[in-house]
Amino acid sequence: MRIAVDKSGPFTHAPTSVSRTMTLVLAALLPATLYDIWLFGWPAALMFLVTVLSCVGLEALCLYLSKRPVGPTLADGSAVLTGWLLAMSMPPWAPWWVCFVAAVFAICLAKHAFGGLGQNVFNPAMVGRIAVLVSFPLQMTTFVRPAPLGSAGSPGLIDSIGIIFGHSPMLDSLSAASALGYIKTELSRGIPVSQSILTAPDLTSLALGTHAGSFGETSAFLILLGGLFLIAKRVISWHIPVAVMGTLFLLGTVFSAINPDRFTPGTFQLLSGATILGAFFIATDYVTSPVSKSGQLVYGFGIGFLTWVIRTFAGYPEGMAFAVLLMNALTPIIDHHIRPRAFGRTRKGEPLPLNRGNK
Amino acid sequence: MSRATWIHASILGAFCLGFGIVLAVTDQQTNDDIKQRILEDKERSLSQVLPTAIHDNSPVTDTIILKDAKGEDVTVYRATKGGQVTGVAYTIVGTGYAGPIRLMLGVDAEGKILGVRVITHKETPGLGDKIQVDKGDWILRFNGLSFANTPLEKWKVKKDGGQFDQFSGATITPRGVVGAIREGLHFFDAQKSKMLEAG
Amino acid sequence: MATPYKTIIKDGLWENNGVIAMLLGMCPTMAVTTSATNGLGLGIATALVMAASSLLVALFRNTITQEVRIPVFILIIASMTTLVDLCMNAWMHEMYKVLGLFIPLIVSNCLPLARLEAFAAKEPVGRSFVDGLFMGIGFTLALVVIGAIRELIGNGTIFADAALLLGPAFHFMELRLLPADTGVLLAILPPGGFLVTGLVLVAKRMIDLAAGKEIRMAGAHSV
Repeated sequence: MRIAVDKSGPFTHAPTSVSRTMTLVLAALLPATLYDIWLFGWPAALMFLVTVLSCVGLEALCLYLSKRPVGPTLADGSAVLTGWLLAMSMPPWAPWWVCFVAAVFAICLAKHAFGGLGQNVFNPAMVGRIAVLVSFPLQMTTFVRPAPLGSAGSPGLIDSIGIIFGHSPMLDSLSAASALGYIKTELSRGIPVSQSILTAPDLTSLALGTHAGSFGETSAFLILLGGLFLIAKRVISWHIPVAVMGTLFLLGTVFSAINPDRFTPGTFQLLSGATILGAFFIATDYVTSPVSKSGQLVYGFGIGFLTWVIRTFAGYPEGMAFAVLLMNALTPIIDHHIRPRAFGRTRKGEPLPLNRGNK
Repeated sequence: MSRATWIHASILGAFCLGFGIVLAVTDQQTNDDIKQRILEDKERSLSQVLPTAIHDNSPVTDTIILKDAKGEDVTVYRATKGGQVTGVAYTIVGTGYAGPIRLMLGVDAEGKILGVRVITHKETPGLGDKIQVDKGDWILRFNGLSFANTPLEKWKVKKDGGQFDQFSGATITPRGVVGAIREGLHFFDAQKSKMLEAG
Repeated sequence: MATPYKTIIKDGLWENNGVIAMLLGMCPTMAVTTSATNGLGLGIATALVMAASSLLVALFRNTITQEVRIPVFILIIASMTTLVDLCMNAWMHEMYKVLGLFIPLIVSNCLPLARLEAFAAKEPVGRSFVDGLFMGIGFTLALVVIGAIRELIGNGTIFADAALLLGPAFHFMELRLLPADTGVLLAILPPGGFLVTGLVLVAKRMIDLAAGKEIRMAGAHSV
């Protein structure tokens, strides 16, 4: 018997591949990255290079050790993306060894110990960030004031090498607290949020990135543009970012209305810290987020809620990375309870009734 | 009850009794030693803030209980020499980054600090724990200071306009400690007469 | 058909090691291995308790009936632990100040109970004593190795404060291999315990593999 096949399978038409996805994500990150390099000067550029190259190098090493093909797997760009996101979550002038240790945790432990791309339970970049944040609290909370390339405060290339690779200590005059850290410190010495928020970076500064913070997260506006580009390209769907940011914004607004002395407003929650970077680029990692759309909403809500709780009540001023990892751990449970509908079947797993469309 | 149950019960009972006796005897044997060790511990930690040179009594046992500004009981250990009170030590509490920091503050009869030591804290290792004497000598620079030789407005960390260094990356911890010591000296001033009464 | 002494010792130290082969007693392993010295101290205390309780159980193994054996075993372990606790508090006070918090945990360590049930309840006194002792020594070795790795990575030292535990003669053991304030703090925090224990397990498997031994992975599915 001969079966005529006149149509190709539904799975063959889209030019989607891992490397195309990765390229688009990197393209979306590029404007913010370039802008931040300009903003934080040569040390930031070196820090960025060290982090990305460490990740790629370690990826190659892990592949070699596990006797898998090195070249093709490296070419998918996932290690570059991990390194890139990791670099964006580091303080701009982090010393090289902090970056390297973060890369070891991200690539070797979070990714390859679990079996490589697609097998990891936790977002590698966030594992790397948290491991060094917990290990080197001093280096990871020393942020610099932005001093654009070419301006007086921006160190030259040689000095920058000293900052990143050497032991030249950073001057106290250059360091500053991140916006979230500042509010938290002031609150702990009894100054209400309603007062300290006036001296914290304002919303324009937060959107433009002209304030101290992690390398990639200060420029909320450019990151947002990149995120919207990804949604437009259908690399990510809107569900997770909207759920994360919506939850954070709502919690911030409601509680700030109740007690403005204790809680920061929703707009501040949205624009400060890693909210936008996390919502668009980190929480949406395919491997570690739920499959179904409703599952993604639950997941995004969880991240927003936990981020708010950690920022407001816990010891660390920023909670995005912790929240993402905690929700990563819940992803299998979310996927178990909110299953995507299998093709050709109802949500309960029964076959779809036949000929519904042919009346 | 059946015979088997009786047997099991008596085996269990016999073991309980036997080991009970063994433990009771050991407890008896070690009791005095343990009490002595705990006393020595306390003396040793008190001797860091009340130097042995200034007293001929045992401050651990010479205590009075006073009320602090918040109305809470504070146990004050007193060092006396020849019946004269030469110094007092008491616990003060500061607000740290991750919870209360409990310190022992020793003050001489003129209100000058003899020594401060951290008893317990939950500060970040590597950042805030430099207040411990084995992690840095920051805590030692309070020795010899008093309200008389250091004006009140200088009892702050440098960031707040005072004279005490903060740690790079950690301001809250030293701020809490300095604040607690400041309050501790106020407590001394307020209760001075009662503390120095010959016991 | 008593087990030969050589097998007992080998089992305790390597083949059937409580921590790195049987994965028993994980709670104290995670809690005290923040330094090699702490691991050593708790290991010695555990070894003492295990040797003593194995001896006692083997001695009374014909008296203790099946039905009440578990309560009696636990009673014996708890009594031995309390004995060690009191004696250390009284006569080894410096060590007690470091380990005092963890000593009562020996009762909740499942390794002593496992050895009583699996070995001492069936074998003669001498062998049971050796089994308890060497299982305890194996436990100590594992704790010291894990503790040393965590301490080295987290703090840059090995056997810091060993003199507090063993006496001033042991000052030579205290090594500082990395300059102060350079450690990866994570290693001495709880996650470091899991990471380092995992890596030590990997190391044992690799050594066994290299020695040509068959690795049995209980519960693991073959892929």
